[in-house]
Amino acid sequence: MPKPHLALLATLAAAAALARFSDAVDPYYLDILTGIGINVILAVSLNLVNGYTGQFSLGHAGFMSVGAYASASLSVFLGPRLLGAAGGAEAAQDAFFLGALLAGGLAAAAAGLVVGIPSLRLRGDYLALVTLGFGEIIRVILQNFDAVGGALGLSGIPPYTTIFWVVAFAGLTVFTVVCLVHSTYGRGFIATHDDEIAAASVGVDPTRYKIVAFVVGAFFAGIAGGLFAHFKLTINPSGFDFTRSIEIVVMVILGGMGNTLGVILAATLLTLLPEVLRPVAEYRMVIYSLLLVGLMLARPQGLFNWRLGKSARFRTGEG
Amino acid sequence: MSAPQLRLSAVTLRFGGLTAVNALDLAVGAGELVGLIGPNGAGKTTVFNLITGVYQPSSGALSFGGEGLAGLASHQIAARGIARTFQNIRLFRQLSVADNVRVAANLHRATSPLQSLVRGRAFQDEEAMIFNRTDELLDLFQLAHRQHAPALSLSYGEQRRLEIVRALATRPRLLLLDEPAAGMNPAEKSDLVRLVRQVRQQFGIAILLVEHSMRVVMELCERIAVLDYGVKIAEGAPEAIRRDPKVVEAYLGEGRQS
Repeated sequence: MPKPHLALLATLAAAAALARFSDAVDPYYLDILTGIGINVILAVSLNLVNGYTGQFSLGHAGFMSVGAYASASLSVFLGPRLLGAAGGAEAAQDAFFLGALLAGGLAAAAAGLVVGIPSLRLRGDYLALVTLGFGEIIRVILQNFDAVGGALGLSGIPPYTTIFWVVAFAGLTVFTVVCLVHSTYGRGFIATHDDEIAAASVGVDPTRYKIVAFVVGAFFAGIAGGLFAHFKLTINPSGFDFTRSIEIVVMVILGGMGNTLGVILAATLLTLLPEVLRPVAEYRMVIYSLLLVGLMLARPQGLFNWRLGKSARFRTGEG
Repeated sequence: MSAPQLRLSAVTLRFGGLTAVNALDLAVGAGELVGLIGPNGAGKTTVFNLITGVYQPSSGALSFGGEGLAGLASHQIAARGIARTFQNIRLFRQLSVADNVRVAANLHRATSPLQSLVRGRAFQDEEAMIFNRTDELLDLFQLAHRQHAPALSLSYGEQRRLEIVRALATRPRLLLLDEPAAGMNPAEKSDLVRLVRQVRQQFGIAILLVEHSMRVVMELCERIAVLDYGVKIAEGAPEAIRRDPKVVEAYLGEGRQS
């Protein structure tokens, strides 16, 4: 069996084991682990777009909110009808939740496709602005959409998210991105990043690669949104504003663009940091920001990127 | 000359008021080695960009193997069998030497990209095939010992060679070489001439060569077309071109013999 498949099976087994013994673990740590898992899904999926394919997207929180609202709406409005007022059997709940999560992911992927096709012809700063705008548009629409609670948000979401689902989907996200990139097909993402004209000259369709990266990235952002919604139990549009997108971008940059292991570590570190800094209360965000600035100055190629750094790379001269 | 494979008929490209290529007729037969020369700014690279779909002609038509190329994007033209190298080397800098070639060898793959998730037998066989083909090509062009190195860590001459290998990995029927001898010393130029001959012998493909080095062009090409200000001013055998007064005036007369 190929290595990534073994790793995925191992992760699923670990998720099942964690779930089995979750009662013995301090709920505080379980919550932190859930937060880490959700951030890993977000960061690793964004890394496919921003890191490997080199498209600077600032709309990840927007896709996350699409997934969160889609799956939460299903649970709140459709769930009671399907499962009965009492909530139904555990197996039925799990099956329903899986369906709701996938629906959220697909809704986000559809949004990714709609935003992606026209805007991926743009480059660099322009794409960043369009995705930023998309995120804000989604937020404003949700704020004025009374059926899902408007600005007050959607509450009464059933607590379906367990540590099993979080770890399993984090594993699935990493598996998907690693498998996509680590194949002769997947090297096309990096080729697109490096030089679109050269990539096209050897038959790589840059637009197609960008759209695949965008849609896959959005799908997993939607899954993360669904997990987040059924973990927090209340969601409101302002929780998915662009500072949330920036947070995810920071994880990708800190981990080293295009380095999945580094991004996983960075997502873990940046989720833990605010918790570790809790004792210093009001100075927490100041220290957090200073640490970020310091890290970027010390390791601009990414904290966990041991490949040649960007600054050390040289460009070929004009021939 | 066999029936032309690549044919440009009255191809014109205008950028605003500037006519970069003016009513150009050019044909390259199967297996032929044709040179395209001209002073700086004559429009040689622009012709390559027209053939490979980077630019669309303002008027005129291009065809390859009897099929029109109008409206096709670069990657579609690559899939039809035209590969190229670049004047200013454009390797994938984050990829290793071998991966640069594998991306290109991936062009004609039969299994779907979705297979990269499932990784079934057919997918793994195809990956192994692409790896083998890459190894063969790197071996053939003496780059095998550097296959794990980052592409940009290669020497200048090796980078040029890698670009040619990458282009060949797409299984082209026509190879466009854009100033492959630029920046090379005389010894490297001799190597290049040998390399181009080798490519032709072993792959039997047609080659269209843009080059400033008269020595390389005269040694290699069976036929030479001369561009000046986007207009073809002469075409013929190397000896005839060398003596053509119009060419001497436009090009050799400037003392550009290198």
